[in-house]
Amino acid sequence: MSLSLLARRQAGGHPMRTLLTVGAATVAIFLFCFLRSIVTSLDAAVEASASNRIITGSAVSLFQSLPSAYMGQIEAIEGVESVSRFTWFGGRYQSEENFFAQFGCDPETLMQQYPELLLPDAQKRAWVRDRRGAIIGQGLADQYGWKIGDTIPLIGTIYPRVDGSDWEFTVCGIYRSAKPNLDEVTMYFHWEYMDRVLEEGGSYGPRGTSVFVVKLADGFTGEEVSTAIDAYYSGGPQRTRTQTEAAFQAGFVSMLGNLPTFLGMLGTAVLIAILFGVVNTMTIAARERVRSMGILKSLGFPNRIPVRLYLMESTGIVLLGGGLGMLLANLTQDPLRAAFGTYIPVYHVTQDTYVMAALICIAIGFAAGAWPAWRASRLRAAESIRRGV
Amino acid sequence: MAEVVIRFEDVTKAYRKGGEALVVLDHLDMSVEAGEFLALMGPSGSGKSTILNLIGGLDLPDSGAVWVQGTDVSRLSADALSSFRANHVAYVFQAFNLIPVLTAEENVALPLLLTPLTKAQRREQSRFALEIVGLSDRMDHKPKQLSGGQEQRVAIARAIAMDPTILLCDEPTGDLDRDSADQVLELLARLSSEFGKTIVMVTHDLQASEYASRTVHLDKGVVVDPTIA
Repeated sequence: MSLSLLARRQAGGHPMRTLLTVGAATVAIFLFCFLRSIVTSLDAAVEASASNRIITGSAVSLFQSLPSAYMGQIEAIEGVESVSRFTWFGGRYQSEENFFAQFGCDPETLMQQYPELLLPDAQKRAWVRDRRGAIIGQGLADQYGWKIGDTIPLIGTIYPRVDGSDWEFTVCGIYRSAKPNLDEVTMYFHWEYMDRVLEEGGSYGPRGTSVFVVKLADGFTGEEVSTAIDAYYSGGPQRTRTQTEAAFQAGFVSMLGNLPTFLGMLGTAVLIAILFGVVNTMTIAARERVRSMGILKSLGFPNRIPVRLYLMESTGIVLLGGGLGMLLANLTQDPLRAAFGTYIPVYHVTQDTYVMAALICIAIGFAAGAWPAWRASRLRAAESIRRGV
Repeated sequence: MAEVVIRFEDVTKAYRKGGEALVVLDHLDMSVEAGEFLALMGPSGSGKSTILNLIGGLDLPDSGAVWVQGTDVSRLSADALSSFRANHVAYVFQAFNLIPVLTAEENVALPLLLTPLTKAQRREQSRFALEIVGLSDRMDHKPKQLSGGQEQRVAIARAIAMDPTILLCDEPTGDLDRDSADQVLELLARLSSEFGKTIVMVTHDLQASEYASRTVHLDKGVVVDPTIA
């Protein structure tokens, strides 16, 4: 016999009511973790961005290609160590629904500029050798069941083949990412292969490059090199806009408008709703237990014991529900990441989110139990026993 | 002459009802000796239950003093009163007032949480108390699974588990049939005679009062039988 046993038994006295409250807390804390993780996952890519890389795109729009000749010119600018091209391919796998990001790039420069891209040496060499070769992230491999040596047929949307056939790429490697700024649901292939097909008339589509990724030489800041690049092209033929990788990533987040704020408000509303729910449960429970509290007092229990019982019960209910919500959030990371695909490729629930969720559970538990606990502490034993039901 | 364990000195108590003061104890003087089994009788509103509440410190007098084992309980703080109740008095109510979600054994062990006893000692003591009231075979039953008489015996076991000096019984047989009532009254008489407990019992039942060693009759807050006051 212990007070915690009494608190547990009291909570179990109305199993359906307790289960429903636990269920509501489960859903609320899961939603909190889910919504917050969308925001933190979007921010993670920004925060993990490299400080020694800058990105040059068209000053008009990201959808406007830059001339490929810019590559050599940018390489010659002081403070530039290397330049890599990236062209958005925009293909579909088998049908419109199967979309993931694909970029034409320079394999060797890509691997030199992105040490966070983890690929075994043998696979690196195989990709460099095979002009129709591609590497895919582990997430894509898991999602579609692809393995090394498989052929991936892609329907060109921006770059359709003239004969109506699919583009075909051979999987040479499956990469992992060491940092959240690089997702694992993208395919990279040889930019030159695509350009050659375009040059030979095998495909329609704009020639050029979507963006240039510039790695800075030691001793140069992103700001000064960005200014130099944009100044170089200020007179055309196409003006450029160069940003740090973090600013470039943040630009994608800002395209979502006020979504993070909206998600934050939604999460807060969910938590307030569950607070009301638990307060309601505890208030009803307290009304039913007036006599029990009077009995405890008549047995000699001091006022703090009923207070402790209510706080234990309400905190226990919310922590149980919240724990299940956190477990659910943890178990659904992979399927949700797959469902989000290219939109939030690094979706995951951070330790901070779990800690915050646990603290919120404790706070809600205390807040919900505080009112009935205070009422119980003020009840006079004789009156409680006389009035109680 | 036995030691006086309870003494009311000029105690007055009134409740407010609809803006009017209803006097339930009117300058009451009375005392109870150690080991006595006292029955309090009288019509509803005569102040019987109020006397129990004042002895246990569940209520406070408007004036006068209530001395229990040498302590004026009307002067104690809330925490001191809780401690006093835990150590000296125990209640047996008409409605049994067991905690419905706990088993008989757990109900009996509940007040023992206030003691420094270990879990094993608490279990031993609560089982012993249940044995005294003849319910060793019902310790895993919850109140709903017991008859009224059994519930009241569990309540008595809970009351004696702490080994209090004074047992305060408010209509302990009011909700019981005759046979069950007799079993409970015999148990109370035994607790008084064998274990030396001081028992103050409120009752309307003349037959119940026959188990007591003394009966005090109350009416409108005063003792109406001066020969036994």
